[in-house]
Amino acid sequence: MQISQRTYVVIGIWLAGLMLLGVVLSEASGGILPLPKWGIVTIVLGLSTVKAGLVALYYMHLQSDQRVLAWIALVPFVLIALALGVVFSSAFVRL
Amino acid sequence: MAHAHAAPAGTMHGVSTSTGVPNGKLGMWLFLASEVMFFTGLIGAYIILRMSHPQWPGPEGHLNVGMGTINTLLLIGSSVTIVLALAASQREEISSARGWLLLTALLGSGFLVIKGIEYSAKLSHHIVPGTNIFWACYYTLTGFHGLHVLGGILFNLFVLSRTASASVWADQRHRLELAGLYWHFVDIVWIFLFPLLYLF
Repeated sequence: MQISQRTYVVIGIWLAGLMLLGVVLSEASGGILPLPKWGIVTIVLGLSTVKAGLVALYYMHLQSDQRVLAWIALVPFVLIALALGVVFSSAFVRL
Repeated sequence: MAHAHAAPAGTMHGVSTSTGVPNGKLGMWLFLASEVMFFTGLIGAYIILRMSHPQWPGPEGHLNVGMGTINTLLLIGSSVTIVLALAASQREEISSARGWLLLTALLGSGFLVIKGIEYSAKLSHHIVPGTNIFWACYYTLTGFHGLHVLGGILFNLFVLSRTASASVWADQRHRLELAGLYWHFVDIVWIFLFPLLYLF
C-alpha cells in the first residue's frame, strides 16, 4: 500500500508535537503538574514508545510490508522480555 | 540432497530474493534486530544503574535541554526527508529523490555538529566519562549513537554517489530503502535516549 506524501509529513508533525509535549511535561514536573516524578517519566517514555511505533509502522512500512518483517522486528523484544525476567527474578532469588 | 521445499531464487521488483522478501531488506531487518539488542543492553544498563544508585549524580545543569530538543527535531526532520526521498524514487522523480536524500545527510550532519558543540562544552568544563557514573553513561550512549548517525550519513552519501544518472538509479534505488530503514532506526534510538538523558 502506497502512503501519501501528505501522510508522511503529518506523521512528522505528530512526532515533533509529541516530543515537544514530553519536554513541556518534564519541565512542568514538580511544579504545576500534580503528578509524582515517576508518573511523568512513565508518560514521557510512553510518548516515546508511541513515536517509535509511528516511525516503525509508517516510515519503516511495517504496517504494509510482508508480515515476516514485523516478526523479525518483534524477536529482540521477546529476548529482552526474557532477559528482564531473569534480571528481576534473580533479584528475588538468593542461592 | 535436493531441498524440495526451498523457495527458488528469483527477483522481485528487480532485486534478488530467495524468500519473497528482497534479500537486502531481509538482511537489513535482521541487522536492525541485532542493533535493537545492542542498544537495549546499553539503555537497560543505564536504567538499572540509575534505579539502583542511592544518590544518582545526574547532569547537574550541564546538559542543555534546548540543544537536545533541536537535535531531536533535526533527526525527526531527517526521517521525514528520507521517507520523502523514497516516495519520490517510487514516482521515478530522481532529482527530487536525490535532493531529499542530500537534505537528510545535511540534517544528520547538523545533529553531529550540535553534538560536537555539546561535547566540547563538557570537555572545557573537564567533564569526562570518568567524572561520575552519569557522565560515563552519557558519553557511552551518545557516543555509540553518534557513531551510528555518522554511519547513516555515510550510507546516505554512498547511495547518493551511486545514483548520479537515471540508468544507474534504476539499478541502485533499492539501496535507498535500506538506507532509510537504517536511518529511521537511528532516529528511534534517539527518541528514547533524549528523554532518558536530558529530561530526567
